[in-house]
Amino acid sequence: MTEDVKTKEQAKPEVPMVSFTIDGRQESVPKGTTVLEAAKELGIHIPTFCWHPKLKSVGSCRMCYVEIEKWPKLAVSCATEVMPDMVVFTNSEKVKQGRKAILEFILANHPLDCPTCDKGGECDLQNLTFAHGIDDNRFDFQKNRFTSSTEGTTFDDKRIGPEIILNRNRCILCYKCVRANKEAFGEYDLGVYERGNIAEINSAPGKQVTNPFSGNLVQICPVGALTGADWRYKIRVWLTKTSPSICNFSSSGANILFYKDENKNKIHRVTARRNDAIDDGWIPDITRYGYQIVGSDERLKTPLIKKEGKQVEATWDEALDLIAKKLNEINEKKGRVCIGGMAAPHIDNAGLYSFSKLFRTVFKNNNVDHRSNYRMLPKEAGSHYITLCNRKFRISDIDDSDVIVIFGSDLLKEHHNLYLRIRKAYNFNNSRIFSVNPYSMKSSDVSEAELVYNVGTDEVLVNAIGLAAIEMELVDNTIGQKFKEKIIHKTLSEASGVCGVDEDLIKLIARAIANSKKISFICGELFSRSLARDNISSAILNINKLFGIENKGQIIALARYANSCGANKMAILPNPSKAVVDKLTELWGEYPEAEPKNTDAMLALMRKEEINGALIMGMNPIMMYPDRQFVTEGLERLDFLIACDMFETETTEIADVVLPMSSWAEYPGSYVNQEGILQTVPAAVKKLHQSKSPFEIVKCIAEKLEAQLFESDEQLNNEIEQLLSINDSDILPDEFLKVKFNPEEIEDDYLIPLFIGDDPHHSGYLTQKSNSLNNFRSEAYLELSPELAQKLGIEGGESVRVESPVGKIIVPTIISDYLDNDVVFIPRNFSTTPVTSLLMRKHRIDRVKISRVDE
Amino acid sequence: MKEIIKAVINVFIEMPRGMLVTLKHLFKKPVTLDYPKKKKPMAPRYRGRHYLERYDDGTERCVCCGLCAAACPADAIYMEPEESDNGERKAKIYEINLLRCIFCGFCEEACPEEAVFLGQEYEFSSSTRDSFIWKKDDMLVPHPRKDNPFKKIIRRVRKVYGVME
Amino acid sequence: MFYSPVITNAAEAAKSDRLHLFKYVEDPDQDKLDTFVKHGGYAAWRKVLDGMKPDEVIAEVKTSGPRGRGGAGFPTGMKWGFIPKDSPKPRYLCCNADESEPGTCKDRVLMERDPHGVIEGMAIASYAIGCHLMFIYIRGEFFFCAQQIEAAMKEAYAKGYLGKNIFGSGYDLEMIVHTGGGAYICGEETALLNSIEGHRGMSRIRPPFPAIEGLYACPTIVNNVESLASVPHIINRGGEWYKTLGTEKSCGSKIFSLSGHVKRPGNYEVELGFSLKKLIYDEAYGGGILGDKKLKGVIPGGSSTPFLLPDMIDVNLDYESLVEKGSMLGSGAVIVFHEDTCIVWVIKKLIHFYRHESCGKCTPCREGTGWLEKIINRIEAGQGKPGDLEKIDDICNNIMGRTICPLGDAAVMPIQSSLKLFRDEWQYHIEHGKCMVKSDFSFG
Repeated sequence: MTEDVKTKEQAKPEVPMVSFTIDGRQESVPKGTTVLEAAKELGIHIPTFCWHPKLKSVGSCRMCYVEIEKWPKLAVSCATEVMPDMVVFTNSEKVKQGRKAILEFILANHPLDCPTCDKGGECDLQNLTFAHGIDDNRFDFQKNRFTSSTEGTTFDDKRIGPEIILNRNRCILCYKCVRANKEAFGEYDLGVYERGNIAEINSAPGKQVTNPFSGNLVQICPVGALTGADWRYKIRVWLTKTSPSICNFSSSGANILFYKDENKNKIHRVTARRNDAIDDGWIPDITRYGYQIVGSDERLKTPLIKKEGKQVEATWDEALDLIAKKLNEINEKKGRVCIGGMAAPHIDNAGLYSFSKLFRTVFKNNNVDHRSNYRMLPKEAGSHYITLCNRKFRISDIDDSDVIVIFGSDLLKEHHNLYLRIRKAYNFNNSRIFSVNPYSMKSSDVSEAELVYNVGTDEVLVNAIGLAAIEMELVDNTIGQKFKEKIIHKTLSEASGVCGVDEDLIKLIARAIANSKKISFICGELFSRSLARDNISSAILNINKLFGIENKGQIIALARYANSCGANKMAILPNPSKAVVDKLTELWGEYPEAEPKNTDAMLALMRKEEINGALIMGMNPIMMYPDRQFVTEGLERLDFLIACDMFETETTEIADVVLPMSSWAEYPGSYVNQEGILQTVPAAVKKLHQSKSPFEIVKCIAEKLEAQLFESDEQLNNEIEQLLSINDSDILPDEFLKVKFNPEEIEDDYLIPLFIGDDPHHSGYLTQKSNSLNNFRSEAYLELSPELAQKLGIEGGESVRVESPVGKIIVPTIISDYLDNDVVFIPRNFSTTPVTSLLMRKHRIDRVKISRVDE
Repeated sequence: MKEIIKAVINVFIEMPRGMLVTLKHLFKKPVTLDYPKKKKPMAPRYRGRHYLERYDDGTERCVCCGLCAAACPADAIYMEPEESDNGERKAKIYEINLLRCIFCGFCEEACPEEAVFLGQEYEFSSSTRDSFIWKKDDMLVPHPRKDNPFKKIIRRVRKVYGVME
Repeated sequence: MFYSPVITNAAEAAKSDRLHLFKYVEDPDQDKLDTFVKHGGYAAWRKVLDGMKPDEVIAEVKTSGPRGRGGAGFPTGMKWGFIPKDSPKPRYLCCNADESEPGTCKDRVLMERDPHGVIEGMAIASYAIGCHLMFIYIRGEFFFCAQQIEAAMKEAYAKGYLGKNIFGSGYDLEMIVHTGGGAYICGEETALLNSIEGHRGMSRIRPPFPAIEGLYACPTIVNNVESLASVPHIINRGGEWYKTLGTEKSCGSKIFSLSGHVKRPGNYEVELGFSLKKLIYDEAYGGGILGDKKLKGVIPGGSSTPFLLPDMIDVNLDYESLVEKGSMLGSGAVIVFHEDTCIVWVIKKLIHFYRHESCGKCTPCREGTGWLEKIINRIEAGQGKPGDLEKIDDICNNIMGRTICPLGDAAVMPIQSSLKLFRDEWQYHIEHGKCMVKSDFSFG
């Protein structure tokens, strides 16, 4: 059930059709289609090696021959456009002989590795030789063998990256891997070397293939030249079964396939399952190797209960009894209002809805929230930040946008599929891309202009774009004057001085937005994690009104987690919108009147001991909340803390009861991705050890408290469906909104702005249990630009001490090509480096002091 | 009267004739073999118990490709591959369930490395079901160099006398 | 002080009023701007800038109808006319000075000794197609040629023949000299464009054609050095005059590089229609076979063209007559073999070249040339097997016409023609394991 897409798209122009004959059938296709694409649409099979639906055709394998009447030579169908009244034969004698010849040429130098090759059973070359090839090969010489830098190995396998192994003998030089690497991912760590018969694919000299999309290269290779280290010698593919699912680590909802062994209840592999609307067939390495956390040895096997200060194993009955006893104690002492709950935004809809219902109907309070990684969240329902987050958009509309503005988002670290989508728009549609960020980053490599503004001046820059448009008279003057009344800086030069961006660049971007035909304006994590998010949202909504962005495009406010949108819809918010509250009242007959408390409020109350019990499901606020001291103080003062998770984390260490939770692969669920598309997936494996799904945990707790949440599964599904159908994208404000600006006060000692985020190869705290992802990166680092390193006198790799007013850590450094503007970056995914202990939640920008370890 | 004569002829002529046949066979060579003291050699292509062959230098031939398991009509073979020390593909676990096996020889035909073959032995009865799942070590032929009994003795002597480390 | 001493018929060209490319190449100062202008150079450039419109230039070249001299023989004027008139993208002109066809050494002489003539031709062609930035792609091994062209370019900039607002006509023209890295495949036009863009020198599939989407996806024209060097003369004396040279269908003059077993190998400029026999045997040109031996075979147009037997060399050197005899004019490199040459050895050398220079993009050429080289090496070494010739034939049929660029066809044509015309030598090699002729590999 998908929501209504905004109907503000322009009507697509009529595409002229061309009619032609193929294999005796009279068909007509849009102009510009190649013969191969037309045949695929019509269900006619033409074999290919080097063609890929998302890459430009090169015509290098010559396998897709067809015979066209009146053409003297065989034509390659991937490069031939359909002409009117063409007569195409895809299976004539000449074509068959041509295919046999090509297969003979390929097999001439291809080693007889099938028994040891991991691709056996799913190999394109095997299948096509069986279907179109010859029995025997007339090549009776020694086959070419590539042995440089693989002396000592028996099969000439060369490890060119932490997770990717190359065997050059098997390569048929279809060039799919280098084309995908260059065109789709924008990386250059794989290349072609030498020429002709001895051409070889190899990693760039001195480098390894470590880009965050390297797993796709293994999947795209038609033969066993590129194989994955994670699949190496594991199992034959025909002994596995597949099960569809979606990615649980990011908000795009990329479609995947689990390859599992049912007898052993194990997942062996994850591959992409192409969905053109969402992921285009590419998945980042996090998705591909993240499944390893499901079968990890470190999973919690049984519930744990804290007895005399130590956590001991217990049975589910014991744990649930204790929970009921303690929660009833708190109820008698202070009332149920003193219990708080946090549910992870990657849990499925059923789990989240039952969580919300538990708190609101059994505990009768509004202390639920899913946003434990954000500081100082808005308290009111009508905040502008929520308005912005509810805007409707479609990622697939980026494909034909001609202007794309990326504001405050480091795409390569958190939204990999979006990064690829923007590259695709750049490659195929020549879109103009503008990057507006507080530091320069890799995802701006395709941008026409990169605006780097001073940290802490986001809203000033957004206002400056509006001011530039007014000064260049791109918008109506009266509207422009009304806009100016609400902002602090009244002239472009003043605003550009404050935010530190050249006036010409701002004018360029204003002109581009004003003249665009279809625009996508993307706002990401750097703004939604900021303290001033409400202010910035007001500024963006003003710009929307000024330029009329939503009339000719879309505003995309990116959610971060797999079911963030679902969590919003299932009312895991302290203060849901009016429509949701009305619907819940209708469904339940009652709605608690208690004051809603978001994460910050709950933690503050926990410190004051006004909230005494908490249920934390799938989250690790001690590690992830941007102020470790604040969180730890709050959670430690609780009388009773229940933590449910897959592994032992910092939060479960201090919990009184720890319940093992199943991963997303172990229970069927439905998830809503960032665009609002609902996807339902089945369970892939049975629940491991004694874990239970989040829905079951909530149900058990409710049963022990003698409350029945749902009478039947139908009731649950029905209620969820009703909630999902609420379409409450708020109406935009009529007037321009007031945008404040408070310049930051900088303390003397702590000068360097620190940004926290995810490493490109990790997501959250769960992926550090995956072996393959740890092969890429297993410990935190401090990333800084060469200029800053020189200023501080640091060499790359050296460990430094990073200090803030509340904490200090020691990390090794990495000098990167990006990150100017004197900012530094530390990833937050590693327990060994507690980076959130440096942060203070009331500060907009965290500033630190960096010194060498031996000073 | 005639019946009496017939009966006399039967007793004294036909019966000894019959017994003579039996007596003749007493002195003929029996067609049966005195199993288990004597065992008849089987035909060269007889399909008996399974063996895993080695190369001349001792490395195992089996690369754990899975073709024998795929060819087996009784689903009797289970294997798990692994990477050996020098990067080759070898079998970590290779098991044949001889109770499921029908000794058809398809695995021998399917093997691309000529690793698994069915030998001539047929005497391997046992009294527990578990002992019929044969592991890789049960089926490997002896290593030509390391398992040679002569060489084993020589190696032991050299080790005792400190000649070999 | 010329680096490459080579015999030319410049003396004859200087006296004649029909031969124009080699008129002044023996003059050691021809590469200096002043001498060039004194000899009538840059007059066509001034004439074009003075009042001719680009369409007129194209029309002039079209009426004279010269064909490309790089090997493919595509009519130059028609190629220029393919540029789309209404495209807003900038146009580019690339001069293909990547002369790597075995046997060809004519462009080198023009670039070394008459660089301004090349630059003038490029400039007029740029004006005709409306391009403001022109490239010349010089083969990486032609170090001295690149030096000469760069020096000439600097002189032209200094004296105002290139640059902004040339002679006050409002037309800007910039030039870039790009040297290659040593690949024959970069002589093919799409591989050349890829190489200039900085990618690997591999061909692109056509469509789209370079005239529509070429360098940096903009309309581009790629022409050979010799074709462009004759453009000023066409403009100077008119297309009608040019038509009077040569024959009716193949007009103009061409430089032939004669090499092999002849007494006077060198570059000779002759009008098209010249007799091949005369070129080889005449005293003023080839001077006859080396050692006065008998002729065995001739390759008339560079190593990618089929052989001609001695009874076929009574043919005029122009595009049509050679096609009638089963061969091609190609790039005009005439290679002569006398009777003591083993044709199998010749083919072995040729296929080694093509295998080495194949770019490796499409399967038939990459694998096919490698396989052919192995079979032919085996036959030449005396270990041919029966059935090898049928295999070679089959492989050649599988490569011909099935590749992205004509390198595959070029590799295969001499093999197929040698199998047709010299099959007895191949058979002898296979049956007896040695050459049929008592050949030594030295030229002498």
